[in-house]
Amino acid sequence: MDMGNDRTESRPSTNCDDYLWDRSGEPDPELQRLEGLLGKFRHDSPTPIFPEVVRDRRRPFFAWRMRLFPALATAAVAVTAIVALTFLVYRTKPAPTTVAGWAVSSVEGTPRIGKKAISTKQGTSPLGIGQMLETDRQSRASLQADDTGKIEVDPSTRLRLLSMGSGLKRIALDRGTIHTYIWAPPGQFVVDTPSAVTVDLGCAYTLQVDDSGAGLVRTSLGWVGFKLNGHESFIPAGAACATRPKVGPGAPYFEDASAEFRSALARFDFEDSTPWQRAHDVAIVLGEARNRDALTLWHLLARVDEGQRVLVYDRLSQLVPPPATVTKEGILRLDQPMLDLWWNELGFDDISVWRHWERSWAGTATPVREK
Amino acid sequence: MARSGNRGDLLAAGLEPAPVREQFASETSADAMWVAAARDGDRAAFGQLYQRYARMVHGVLLAKVPVGEVDDLVQDVFIRALRRLSTLRETASFGAWLAAIARNVASDYHRRSVPEEALTDDAFDKEIQCRMSGGNQDGLAAAILDAVMSLSEAYRETVILRLVEGMTGPEIAAHTGMTHGSVRVNLHRGMEQLRAKLSPDPRGDGPEQEKS
Repeated sequence: MDMGNDRTESRPSTNCDDYLWDRSGEPDPELQRLEGLLGKFRHDSPTPIFPEVVRDRRRPFFAWRMRLFPALATAAVAVTAIVALTFLVYRTKPAPTTVAGWAVSSVEGTPRIGKKAISTKQGTSPLGIGQMLETDRQSRASLQADDTGKIEVDPSTRLRLLSMGSGLKRIALDRGTIHTYIWAPPGQFVVDTPSAVTVDLGCAYTLQVDDSGAGLVRTSLGWVGFKLNGHESFIPAGAACATRPKVGPGAPYFEDASAEFRSALARFDFEDSTPWQRAHDVAIVLGEARNRDALTLWHLLARVDEGQRVLVYDRLSQLVPPPATVTKEGILRLDQPMLDLWWNELGFDDISVWRHWERSWAGTATPVREK
Repeated sequence: MARSGNRGDLLAAGLEPAPVREQFASETSADAMWVAAARDGDRAAFGQLYQRYARMVHGVLLAKVPVGEVDDLVQDVFIRALRRLSTLRETASFGAWLAAIARNVASDYHRRSVPEEALTDDAFDKEIQCRMSGGNQDGLAAAILDAVMSLSEAYRETVILRLVEGMTGPEIAAHTGMTHGSVRVNLHRGMEQLRAKLSPDPRGDGPEQEKS
């Protein structure tokens, strides 16, 4: 790296990695200089005086409520009468359940909840369980739930709210594109698509579904699980994964992998190829794989036939050696604990998060189809 | 990412020696105490949370918005958090929740702003090299920050928290809710990309030339 006039060769070193990680080990002069230069942008503002939001709001509200009690009581009676009348008139039509949850606002144009149009001037509207949110070619919407996260909805998108509340929070994306930023605990936010279930195990991802039901997830922060009938893929930040109806998710891949790698992987995952063609595609993937493409190879272990599994094992071992407790025989017979231990060596994340999700929600991991 | 209720499991399976785990576990319980007090209107308790997390919020915002806007937005993030504190169910995940609010505030900032025309990658890298050769320390720092800002989004935030805010990897993981594995990977790959961008080698071989 060169910073001004100094030049030092880039060199991976355990000591320098230690310094990068926690400043232990041998100090890295390059990093120290970068820290020194960039430190001028560091946060150094003193703690501000924060308003007493909780108390300040409670006391005036209580005082005003007492002062306005007669008017409020009259209004309450009127509202009760209107609600009762409305109930009597419309009781034959069960209304969608609106729970504390997603508030929808228009970002552009007029998205619709059911038949109700939402304009940008309108503020927010709640999305009830069972209700559908739809954007046309000119509209975009935003959903936010304080205890879950935020979803930005692109044009030409249709989604439905399936469940909300303290447990699993679930929507169905029938078509279009959503960008999600989730702060609910991992595994609690689930998106059904026509071809797979997407489970948030991190923070931010984009999910696209086309009119045929094919999907693509791109993770920008954290990681995402993609699952259909036992076929599962894990997509860490920077990676993508395609899915197809009836097939489920393919193997995830980094989008900066070579074009040959990605084409061969797509053919392997989704085309109805002959065994010879599949073997040929696997050979291309193995030949083109870089260190970080261990992500894809790990997923291929369970997807290739037994003869090819040895080849995938050998190549993956070159890229990321398995831990000492993992044996070749165990991997070839797809021993799940051994596969999990090897995954943890890849450096993406701890798979126990996913296994915990599976134990908690395994029975729900089937897409809820549009009625 | 991996946040909240799983923190204990992840730390137990993590890479840090026991004293480090204990340190962050005790910080998590202190967070829960301060969050509870702040919900009851204790401003000093919220001030403690500010002192602990301001650097992290500053770094998350700096990764996404112009440097001149960051200080004001840090205040916005904490005000927004204070108003929504009653909605936080898992107090142990305060950091991850706050980081998400910060990303959200940055996203709102961009929605309100007029987008600037971006330089192409090549032009951008050349401009950085040009400014770095100027010899002025402030200009050099700004050029390096621009290089950091041009990293992949997944790495930018972690690299800024480490190099600008001076947080260690374990601190970044504890304060953002990311796992140690993710932080380590983001730091390592982000630094690889940054080295490539700051290299005067005109070929500018990126970090992905690592075929085995």
